[in-house]
Amino acid sequence: MAAPNLSRDPLEPLPLLEGKHTDKTINDSLLEHVWRGAGKGWWALFACALSALSLLGIAIVWTLYKGIGVWGNNIPVGWAFGIINFVWWIGIGHAGTLISAILLLFQQKWRTSINRFAEAMTLFAVICALLFPLLHTGRPWFAAYWLMPYPSVQRIWPQFKSPLTWDVFAVSTYFTISLLFWYLGLVPDLAALRDSSKSKTKRMIYGLFAMGWRGSGRHWAEYKWAYLLLAGLSTPLVLSVHTIVSFDFAVSVLPGWHTTIFPPYFVAGAVFSGFAMVLTWMLPAREFLGLKHVVTLKHLDNMAKILLVTGMMVTYGYVMEHFVAWYSGNPYEYSEFFRVRQHGPMAPIYWLMMFCNCIVPQIFWSRRARTNILVLWFASILINVGMWCERFTIVITSLHRDFIPSKWENYSPTWVDVSLFIGTIGLFSTLFLLFLKFVPAVAVTEIKELRHELDHDPTAETAGVTH
Amino acid sequence: MSQVDAHEDSGFVARRFVLAEFATPEALLAGTHKVREAGYKNLDTHTPMPIHGLEAALGLGRPKIPLIVLCGAIAGACIAYAMIYFCNVIDFPINIGNRPMHGPPANIPITFELAILLAGGSSFFGFFTLAKLPQPYHPVFESEDFTRCAVDAYFLSVELPPEGEADKVFAEVQTAGALSAELVTESER
Repeated sequence: MAAPNLSRDPLEPLPLLEGKHTDKTINDSLLEHVWRGAGKGWWALFACALSALSLLGIAIVWTLYKGIGVWGNNIPVGWAFGIINFVWWIGIGHAGTLISAILLLFQQKWRTSINRFAEAMTLFAVICALLFPLLHTGRPWFAAYWLMPYPSVQRIWPQFKSPLTWDVFAVSTYFTISLLFWYLGLVPDLAALRDSSKSKTKRMIYGLFAMGWRGSGRHWAEYKWAYLLLAGLSTPLVLSVHTIVSFDFAVSVLPGWHTTIFPPYFVAGAVFSGFAMVLTWMLPAREFLGLKHVVTLKHLDNMAKILLVTGMMVTYGYVMEHFVAWYSGNPYEYSEFFRVRQHGPMAPIYWLMMFCNCIVPQIFWSRRARTNILVLWFASILINVGMWCERFTIVITSLHRDFIPSKWENYSPTWVDVSLFIGTIGLFSTLFLLFLKFVPAVAVTEIKELRHELDHDPTAETAGVTH
Repeated sequence: MSQVDAHEDSGFVARRFVLAEFATPEALLAGTHKVREAGYKNLDTHTPMPIHGLEAALGLGRPKIPLIVLCGAIAGACIAYAMIYFCNVIDFPINIGNRPMHGPPANIPITFELAILLAGGSSFFGFFTLAKLPQPYHPVFESEDFTRCAVDAYFLSVELPPEGEADKVFAEVQTAGALSAELVTESER
């Protein structure tokens, strides 16, 4: 894997598309994994994912049957796995929007190869995230009364001054917009699937979802704007969503939560964990789905650089939290950051977080590491673990030691908490594997456009592709 | 009279198109310019990807989507703010610690989110409405070659007037650089 890279002149940029292509070869090579029958590997992974998903089913049924008392939450740890997992999953989703929207606005050509993949990841991650706030209400079928402004005879409205209500609006908007954006981008590719399908049934099914798309110039003219505007709208949206998620904490007065750095630090953390998740899935997918010509070492190199940058932003957030805890002279803040987190019962998780989020990404200063598949894959998994530990530290460690020692209580999750968490990983994996089976993992239309642009860009031909 | 007409003729007039294939996007672009300059107005192109400059070649006006999205955003913001105001100030005011019933800063997040939601929704649904999609049938689908439209073929379609001559159009697209051209006729369903 590293061999072609090392023989290269280090000053010459890596290519965005490998090999000579025509529209036809791009089309065929990117749709090939949809037409190819599911292999043994896919079925094995799918079986694992389904068994984790059934665990989710059991945990949900048990939670609904017995009530949320079966979770490990106690007083003072009133928020625990539910919110940790919610924030973790939402954060993972954010990289998808960053790649598809923000990098589109910045005209980063390399995003084209990974945006469809990352957008799908966003959708599935948000579905997983949404499960937790729904379940934590205990009786989700009543949740409409207090989550949404539903005009019931009780005339009780949601508390619009609460960040938790803002969260309901933010996350549901985020899910809806991500879905629309993803589908709009998918329509021309569904038409490509329809037009290259061999059997009549497949042609019918993909044709149904392609909605009669005929690549009309009149349509493209409006389509480009609709797509660009959705990207433009998603950009402030993604920042607002994680800002509002961080308000859930920052607006309270608990030591460890009550800080102004939370919104930017949460957004950076979200992008950090999301890019790690994209890599965790992209590395095996490009290997097994035959996507190496569109997801090149250049893409991996760029993603690793983003991990390095966002990792340092997260580190800066940690440093500032500690600095302010010390500088403010507030004894509760000081105790939280310098005693409880570092030496308390949850200290191993704190140190694991520091290792995974601050130290591990530093390896990406090395170009060798940025283009080494194994290093990237293990680092991305460690970062996912680290970001989960960060949310654990913020939620549990802050809650379990607050102002009065008589209120202190330790926390341990129950089997239901753990099953819900593993179960959502199962749900995510199931959805993702189905996505990889039925929909092209790379935006075919956009790659065709990119290929065309690169072929007509004189600088691209002589000096490889910049960006 | 209308009854007799209805019996003799269902009123169906098949739309006819000349569908011309071009080798490359550049050829299509140049060809579209030529055909439009020759005076043909009912033109459309069918390509697997958006092509820069085709809007001008087809003589399309400004896109309508941006205005629709702006209206959606304004509507979303107004609806959200009015909803919060109605719930907290008009319908069920609750005095909590003597805080004002109408607290504008706390209303910003939801107002913003709903503005985005309606703007994004109007972008998506606005596009499909303008494009008249979903549209399962279109006469161009009659062509066998059209199954390459979303794959790697670049088509120009010229809609013929009801009594128009196809031959003239064939000659026109040929001089404009088309690889091949065929006549497609809408089928009655």
